[in-house]
Amino acid sequence: MTSMESDKCWAECMDVAVEIARKAGQMVQEAVKQEKRVSSKSTPTDLVTEADQQVEELIISTLRERYPTHRFIGEESSAAGEKCVLTDSPTWIIDPIDGTCNFVHSFPMVAVSIGFAVMKELEFGVIYHCFDGTLYTARKGHGAFCNGVRLQVSKEKDVSRALILTEIGAKRDPATLNIFLENMKKLLSAPAHGVRIIGSSTLALCHIASGAAEAYYQYGLHCWDIAAAAVIIREAGGCVIDTSGGPLDLMSRRVVAAGSREMADYVVRQLQPISYERDDHQPIVQS
Amino acid sequence: MSDPWKECMDYCLEVTKEAGKMIRDALQRDISIMQKSSPVDLVTETDQKVEELIISSIRKKYPTHSFIGEESVAAGAASVLTENPTWIIDPIDGTTNFVHRFPFVCVSIGFTVNKEIEFGIVYSCIEEKMYTARRGKGAFCNGVPIKVSGQEDISKSLVLTETGFKKDPEHFRTMMANMESILTIPVHGIRSPGSAAVNMCLVACGAADAYYHMGIHCWDMAGGAAIVREAGGVIMDVSGGPFDLMSRRLITASSRAIADCIAKKIQPFPCGRDDAEN
Repeated sequence: MTSMESDKCWAECMDVAVEIARKAGQMVQEAVKQEKRVSSKSTPTDLVTEADQQVEELIISTLRERYPTHRFIGEESSAAGEKCVLTDSPTWIIDPIDGTCNFVHSFPMVAVSIGFAVMKELEFGVIYHCFDGTLYTARKGHGAFCNGVRLQVSKEKDVSRALILTEIGAKRDPATLNIFLENMKKLLSAPAHGVRIIGSSTLALCHIASGAAEAYYQYGLHCWDIAAAAVIIREAGGCVIDTSGGPLDLMSRRVVAAGSREMADYVVRQLQPISYERDDHQPIVQS
Repeated sequence: MSDPWKECMDYCLEVTKEAGKMIRDALQRDISIMQKSSPVDLVTETDQKVEELIISSIRKKYPTHSFIGEESVAAGAASVLTENPTWIIDPIDGTTNFVHRFPFVCVSIGFTVNKEIEFGIVYSCIEEKMYTARRGKGAFCNGVPIKVSGQEDISKSLVLTETGFKKDPEHFRTMMANMESILTIPVHGIRSPGSAAVNMCLVACGAADAYYHMGIHCWDMAGGAAIVREAGGVIMDVSGGPFDLMSRRLITASSRAIADCIAKKIQPFPCGRDDAEN
């Protein structure tokens, strides 16, 4: 494909992503009103429901029919044993319900997140807020939008004027919580204006893109939480990097995002790391 | 027998809608920030204008009533609760969120007579959710009845609390230790949306199962207290004793079982009283 052809192709893919995100979002809106069957994955607080699985099936089957040569990385498929490796192929990176715990409680921060990468580069992202119907979109080189209105990050560089977002992550052992709370305390002591936890990494990242908060940091999220939001934040003028200060590593289970590089670097300097197994880890094969 | 305070509540609703509109308009413009007791205790002109609008509107109709408003108290007014019909007002709860345009921002009004909360109104203006409750008549969000989740199992609960810079290192340490204590029960999760009154409404409508906080004020709690109670929830002191509106602290939950569990797990730290002699 020429670059013009592929550009047109990815634009079309994005339109399809928007359509399927809305449909999936409607499915989530219906499901939230009903009784939920809840189980847990890696820890007792890492929840999954039938709706997660059904919504992911809807998204992947629709996309696969349309784009049979494309590849898919989905949260529930990975949980079911599918490999989570990013190749050069056009790849859809999907979180069917981001904020499953919120979904279970009907806490109003739940999203469908669809990211897309080609040649291992993130091309576009679509995030649909299931409770209020807000749609966040961005395509590389074409800006970021919320319900059609252009998004712009906060350019604040001073942490004492910053609102910072984070999430707790699935691990709750004492050593992890110790570091988690220390990191939070450090930023509160800056003193930042505040630290907020809303329970959905993708929506929290969208609030960085919209300028409603200055920085986000987390250990324990997945590639399917980062893929779409990274494009949205970058196209809104922000930066998305690794917690070490280096470039974003999509499979590393950690991220710092901010409106300004100065803010991102400041946050990086305050953090002590919490390690989680990489998304692209090779499982040990028992012979 | 007709409700003696219905007219007050209906009027309050109209005033609250006006206040909400003022806040939404202000969000479209530049917001300049001032600091009160510390660099993280923010106030804006909008807080002051909204409180002025609310108090002047109500005072015109009810000149003998008393008022406890956040910004009036900051300007030196007394904050002692008497038997007199009293309006307890937070013009913008979640001022930090307001300054950043982060979604949880509300107007909170509680009305007391003989020191009992008769009704509460909390208007989450970015979400456009109007929460109301009249003592004995149920709780509502945009006119639709709401009730707490009824959850009794702490290990399946979603808990709300807020953190913030504390000048006293002991208080800071205790606040973080309390969070750890709750997380290790374990609970499903902790959320910090950033507005006390919105947090109480989230418990009232079943979206969260508990909220605890030390260091807030009577104007943060008065409106929400009516709403949570009428939604079938419990509200009490962090010690496990009865709720004290002027104590600057609370636990509110979907059930007594959850509230008691949280009371056992958290350590209080001194946060003063709203009605203390200065």
